[in-house]
Parts: sequence; C-alpha cells; structure tokens
Amino acid sequence: MMARHLRRKLWSHALTALMGLCVIVVLIPFASIVYEAASIGGPVLSPTLFTAGLPAPCSPVNGVVCPVGGIGPALQGTLILIGLAALISVPIGLAAAIVASEYRGRFLGLAISFVADVLTGLPSIIAGVFIYAYFVIYYPSIVYSTITGALALSVIMIPIVTRTTEVALRTVPQELREAALALGIPKWRTTLQIVVATALPAILTGILLAVMRASGEAAPLLFTAFGSRLGFTGLTNPIEALPLMIYNFAESGWHNWIQLAWAGALVLILLILVTSLLSRWTIQRMVRRMRGG
Amino acid sequence: MFLGFVTAGGVVLLVLIFLILAVLIAQSEPAFRAFGLEFLVGTRWDVTRQVYGVIPFVAGTLITSGIALLLGLPLALGAAIFLTTQAPVAFRGPLGTVIDLLAAIPSVVYGFWGLLVLAPFMRTTADPALQRYLGWTGAFGGTATGTGVLTAGVVLAIMVIPTISAISRETLAAVPASQREAALSLGATSWETTRVASLPYARAGIFGATVLGLGRALGETMAVTMTIGNHDAVPTSLFSQGQSIASLIANELVNNTGPLQYSAIIEAGLILLMISLLVNVGARLLLWRVTGSVGSEAPR
Amino acid sequence: MSSTGATSPSSETIERKRSRAPLYAVVAIVVVIVIVVAGFYAGWFKSASSASSGNCAPPTGVTIIGAGSTLVYPLMFQWETVFGGGTTVNYASVGSSAGITDISAKTVDFGASDAPLNPAQRATAAGVLTIPESAGGVVPIYNLPGVGTLNFNGTVLADIYLGTISYWNSPALAALNPDASLPDQPIQVVYRSDGSGTTFIWTSYLSLEDATFASQIGKGTQVDWPVGSGEPKNAGVAGYVQETPYTIGYVDLNYALNGGIQFGRVENPQGNFILASVNNTASALRDANPTLPAGNGDWYNVSVLNAPGLYDYPITSLTYILVYQDLSGAYGSSFSLNQAKALVDFLYWMVTTGQTYSAELYYVPLPPSVVANSEASIGSITFNGATVPNSCGSSV
Repeated sequence: MMARHLRRKLWSHALTALMGLCVIVVLIPFASIVYEAASIGGPVLSPTLFTAGLPAPCSPVNGVVCPVGGIGPALQGTLILIGLAALISVPIGLAAAIVASEYRGRFLGLAISFVADVLTGLPSIIAGVFIYAYFVIYYPSIVYSTITGALALSVIMIPIVTRTTEVALRTVPQELREAALALGIPKWRTTLQIVVATALPAILTGILLAVMRASGEAAPLLFTAFGSRLGFTGLTNPIEALPLMIYNFAESGWHNWIQLAWAGALVLILLILVTSLLSRWTIQRMVRRMRGG
Repeated sequence: MFLGFVTAGGVVLLVLIFLILAVLIAQSEPAFRAFGLEFLVGTRWDVTRQVYGVIPFVAGTLITSGIALLLGLPLALGAAIFLTTQAPVAFRGPLGTVIDLLAAIPSVVYGFWGLLVLAPFMRTTADPALQRYLGWTGAFGGTATGTGVLTAGVVLAIMVIPTISAISRETLAAVPASQREAALSLGATSWETTRVASLPYARAGIFGATVLGLGRALGETMAVTMTIGNHDAVPTSLFSQGQSIASLIANELVNNTGPLQYSAIIEAGLILLMISLLVNVGARLLLWRVTGSVGSEAPR
Repeated sequence: MSSTGATSPSSETIERKRSRAPLYAVVAIVVVIVIVVAGFYAGWFKSASSASSGNCAPPTGVTIIGAGSTLVYPLMFQWETVFGGGTTVNYASVGSSAGITDISAKTVDFGASDAPLNPAQRATAAGVLTIPESAGGVVPIYNLPGVGTLNFNGTVLADIYLGTISYWNSPALAALNPDASLPDQPIQVVYRSDGSGTTFIWTSYLSLEDATFASQIGKGTQVDWPVGSGEPKNAGVAGYVQETPYTIGYVDLNYALNGGIQFGRVENPQGNFILASVNNTASALRDANPTLPAGNGDWYNVSVLNAPGLYDYPITSLTYILVYQDLSGAYGSSFSLNQAKALVDFLYWMVTTGQTYSAELYYVPLPPSVVANSEASIGSITFNGATVPNSCGSSV
C-alpha cells in the first residue's frame, strides 16, 4: 500500500519534472535566436545602422574591407508599408466589426464574423499571390509597388482588426447601449461615442496586434513590394521592407549582407517585442480596471 | 448614412474572400484544362516536359506539418500544464508571457535561424544520431544534408508551440478550481489530478488549439522555404529535400518557365487555400462550441 | 476573455479610467513615421554613391525598374549605384526566368536573363529585344575540407548531376585527380530552385558534353533534377555550398571569387584543364566569335560554350537585357517619354562606360563586336514611332 502510494508519488514528480523540462526545451530556440542576433547583428548596431543605405555585396576575401551599410531603406519601407496598410485596413476592419457586433441580428453581421474568422487563417503567401495575380492582369505597370505591398498587407490586417474589434465591442455592457438609446441618442451616435469609445483601448490593442503581425511578414511582399535599395521613391515604385531584406540577405552568402540580416532581425524582434509587451501591459491594466473599478 | 458606411466596410470584407477565390480559380484554369484531376494525383513536377502534378508539394506540406505537431504538441502541452498547475506562482506569468512572445517573432527570422543555426546542427549532430538509433524504421534513409523535410518540420514545431501552448494554457486555467480540489481531496497525486480533472475538461480546447497550430504550419512560407531544400519531388525519407505548396509558390510563382507552370502554381495555391480554410473553419467551430467565444488568440 | 457575466462597474468608471497607453503608442508610431519621412527628404537612406553618369545626361526624377538574372546582380548593383544624373535604377535579383516572366507581363521596364528567350517565350513576349550586356563563366564550386583544386570534365559533371557518380572517391573523379585524397563521402548535389539562366548555361554545357544528360534532362532554365537539393539564386547556391561539406554546386565566377569559394578546373575541348578567370573567359568569348542576330531576332541558339582557343574556359556565356523595342506600343500611356529616354540612356551607358566596371567584379567586358550589336539594338528602340536618342554623346 505504502509502496504503491510512493510509486504514484514518484511517477507524478517525474512527470512534473518532465513537463518542467518541456518549458526549458521550448525556451532554447528563443535563447538561441536572441543570442545569434545579438552576437552577430549586435556589433553593427549604431545610430547610422538605422539611416545608412544597403551596402554593396561583399565578403572579406583577400583582405577586402567590406562596407557595413545600414538598414535605413528597409526600416523606412516597413514603416511606410505598415502605415499605408493600417490606413486601408483599420477603417474597413472597424466598419465590418461594427456591423458584426452592433447589427448582429442581420445575416450580414453573422457572415462578417464568419468570414473574418476564416480569413485570419489565410496563409500569408496567398495574400501576396492574390494581389500579384490580380494586378498582373489589370495593372501590370504597378505590380511591383508600394501600393500593392500595402494592399497585400491589408489583406492580412483587415480580418485581424475586424476580429479583435468585434470581441472588444462585445465586451461593452449591453446596459450602456440601452441607457443611451433610452435617452433618445440615435443609434449611430450611441455606437460611435459610447460603445466604440468605451472599447477604444481594446480596439487600439487589436490594431497593434495586426500591425505587429504585418510588420513581420515577408511572404506577401515577395511578389508585390519587390524590394529596393533606394527606399521610398513613390507610391508606384517598388519599396524595401525589413522582413524582405532579411530573407534576401540571409540566403545571399555575402558576409556583410548576412551580418545586416541578423542586425535587421534583431531590430525587428525588438520592435515587435516592445509593441507586444506594450499591448499586453495595456490589456492587463484594462482588465484590472474593469474588474476592480 | 452611418449604417451605409459601416455596411460598406463589411461588404468589402465579404467581397475580399470571393475576390481571392475568383482570381485564383480564374488563373488556375489553364492548368485545370490541361491536366484536369490528374493534377491532384500527379506525382511529378516536370518543367522540361511541362507535366505538373501537385502531390510532391501536398506531401511536403503534410509531412512537415505532421512533424511539427508530433514534436510541438507534447512540448506545448507539457509546458502549458506545468505553467498552469505546477510552476511556482511567481514564475507562471512571466514564463507564460515569454512563450507567448515566441509567437511574435517573424517567420522569416525563424527561417534565417533554421538555415544558419539549426540546419548545421541537424547535419552534424541530430541527423547522424537519428540515423544510428532510428535508422531501422526506414524513415531516416539517405544522406542528411541539414536542410530537408525534417529540419523544416522542426522549425515549424518551434513556431506552432506558442500558438498551441497559449490557448491550451487558457483552457486549462479555465478549469474550475473545484474540479481539481475534488480530485486532490480524494488523495490523487498532482499528475493524477491533472489527468482526471483538468485534461478531460480542457480536451476540446486543446484539440482546437492543436488544429489552429496545424493551420499555421500548413501555410507557413518563409521558414519552410529556407529550410526544406526546395526539391520538386515526393520525399522518400525524412532527410529528403522537398517542397511545400507555400515554398513552391515562393520559389517559382514569378520565376516560372512559362504560363502553364504559372497556372499550375496558382492551382497549387488554391489547394493550399482550401486545405487551410478547412482546417481553420473546423478549429474555430470547435473552439466556438466549447468556449462560446473564439478565445483571445495569442499575438502573432 | 470570458466575461462570466459578473456585474460590470458603472460605465463612467470605465470611461474615465480607460488606459491611455495605446494612444501613446499610436502617437509614438505616428511620430516615428513623420521622422522617417522627413529623414527621407533630408537625404538619409541613400546608398553611399558618387552619382556620376559619365557623359550621359538622363532625365531627372525618373525611376527605371528592372528584374531578373542573379548572375549579373553584383555588376548591376554597381551600375545602378554609379549611374546617376537624377535617374534612379531599381534592379531586383530574382532569377532569369522571373526576368523573362516580368518583361512578358510588362511589370518591369527591362528584364535581364542569362538564357535567351526560347521560341515559346518569344511568342509571348513579342517585340522584345535581346541585348548582350555582359558575360561570365559558370564554375563548379564544391566544399571538400582539406582537398585542393580538383579537375572536372563535362562527362563527370554530367554524371554527378545525373546521380550516376554519387561518391567523391568514385573512380572517374579519381582518374582526373590522381594526386587528390578524395573522401569516401556521398556527393551532395546543389542546384538552383528557381528558374535560372545560370542553370540554362550549366545544362546547355552538360547537354553538349554528355548524350545521356541531353536526352534525360536537356537544357533549360529549370529542369527535372534526379538528385540534389535546390537553393534560390546564385547567392543561395554559393552560400549553401560554402556552409555545407561535401556539396557541389554551380555559380557564376564572380560569386565564387568574391565569396572565396573553392571551384574546380574544367577540361576544355583542347584537353586542357582550365581554372576559370576573367582573362580566359574573355578570350573564350573572343575566340568563339559568335554570329549575333539582330536585337529582335532569334537568339536561342547563340552559344559561346567550348570556345576553340587552347586555354579558353569552356563554360562561358553572354548575359542579356530584355527590353521592348516599341516602348509606347508595349506599355501604352503609363510610360512617359522621359522614362523612355532614361531607359535608353541607362542601356547605352551600360554597354559602353558600364563595361569598365566589369573586370574588378570578375565579369567579362564585352568585346567591341558585341558592343556594336548591342548599340544597334538600343538605337532601334522607339517611342511613339520615333527612335529614342541617347544623351550620352559619342561612344566611349
């Protein structure tokens, strides 16, 4: 009896240890990625890294000294693409979410919830294929441009904004709407000034999530933004982006490009982690406030 | 007016999915006309003779995603259980956050790391060991070059862990304390409590999380493209180079040798879209059923 | 977030106490974007370049977009950096097949390919000129720790890529390299995963040398390889071979030399084993002295492989720019006269002044006879029915 109990206890402890080990195993790749990025990309971190242009490809063979260059055009391109994509996707996503949440009795509302759900699972490369395939037939001269890049990212962002906004709007207490309507405030004003305003922090957090997701995407940009060492030269011209640059430079074999790719990865990780932590912190604060009133 | 505006936004969203389908279907028509259903069962992708079959890429996609789940699910679940029931309370939040943050690392960075760090490690250390101890299974034949379906699968496993772990943690945390307390009061050990009280309660949620992770693995492009070896043939061993549908698109969509190949790639993309929509709709319906909401997704 | 229907606090509390952090975040992001855009106009983000377009005076404020060959990319990078005068050139190194696809679909202003258009592609891209802009040699690169420069010939290379020679110490390789200590290791074949002009040159050569290869695989920008793994772009193959022991791959000479990657000698038809260099690829190009068709002619069978010189490197090829002869006819109103002028200036500058940058990057400068052909093709480009003059003055 005692032995049996002991065995069960030991078994339990062993499994617990094993599960603890899982946590450690899961964290190893993370540690390795951060270590590589910091040890290879770290040494070239400097203010000029963020502004200097992409260098000519070079490996230090036969005493050649390679230019370091910077990720300026890529960083600039990512910010511009994300800004434009947000400009396109946020109004559409908000509007769709309002229909889905505030007018949910209708068929349209249900359909939007469902389609937004389905689209969040869209493989990101399909977004790029879609935009490329459409533009190559109708507008071939701007297939490779800032516009198509931003559109491809919008296809990814719209469903995320819609989903998160819808969830945010639904957490707004029903009594609030009823009270406002009872006061004779028209429905659209109730929606905008009370419901949306109340859920605003959660909505903004959702937008941040969408921005984060899009800013790390390279696949949709392969056939749209195209890449450019020049940075932004106009809406109808190609543009560089940080993930795209990392992909192109990572497989290049050139010493200085691989180093820049790691530096770019480090910057991208930091950028996304900070945004992510910020939004988490906000959600936590919000939840605490709503609970603790 | 206002209703009109928001409705317009909603309509754009609805039109989007139809537009995506319409464009892909229209442009895959030449390939469909040339190969018909042969395309779906064809095992050769022969650019020289202009004969295209999608099986090599479906195989590459399913094998890599399968490896991802096989490796990722136990690890994610183990970590989730440990962090919800076993870990010291002070560690739970921070460690959970760190694992969730893994989901925020861009896939191109995983691919980069997979190519330059994981692939050499696989080649020199992991693959020879697998060949020695598990070679008898026949799954580890051929020469290990570092890149291949196994390496791509491992990278995908690392990428799906945070997705599975986050939702599993959420559903495990939602298990009422009374359930566990009841089991504990009957003298169950902590593992037994988890097994009889927590896991059955969270089973559906964990399943949904797994399928969601699968959805992510199926459509992943950059990390797979950089590690799978890009060989247009059905893999014959886990060390074989292969190609997933997503990596096929990345490699050959624009870089094609003619309109028929382009069209065949679009058709392959359509198949990928169908597979991942099916998986996602399934997962979400399930999560919907179980939790009544879609659950807050991990940021990614 | 499962709201369990707990009594919610009054709306006012939520209203007043809602967090402002996301607002700050959005404001911060907007500020960053403003700084970046301002920085762009202040002249950050520019590649370090001394803009001098030699004797050309291209229009200002025009961007020319090109795509294709990765073989020519390092040279093109140099060209677009140096070419100035207010015209910016934006070239994407995406592979020769993509260059052909892109020019056919009219998504770019010029394509670049190391493989000439095949008959089907000529039909699709009607009215496209083929203009030689540089030349290079394709070399077998390998990674064998502790082994020196190896000798190869066409048959052995073909057998390696067919999979019939699968070990480094196989008798056929050992016979060519009696002094090398070849390891008993399987050969890991690396090829291009994307449609590639380098693959075209490589498979053209192997088809020429080996009948089995010609019948089983044939020449093409993308072929059905029986063995090996694919890597994208010249750079991808170079990088992978450099990282991975016991691999063999094929890249342009400049990638091997600039990357410090070991490559082998190849036996030429005269029986000499030649280690590729700018000099012996240049002499191969001169000695092959190919008869070149007009720009709008059929270039598919133009070849400078297996040149007759005693010490010529055998795997040599021209690489081409693809551009529409009738620009306004091809692009319609989306293409301006200024764009046409800028494009013609850049092309003209490329085949004249641009050639002086070739040798330092291990490319082969075009011989005068080829330059004359290119100049004639560029001179035949029209816009709205009139030829587009270049602003570069007399040729250099």
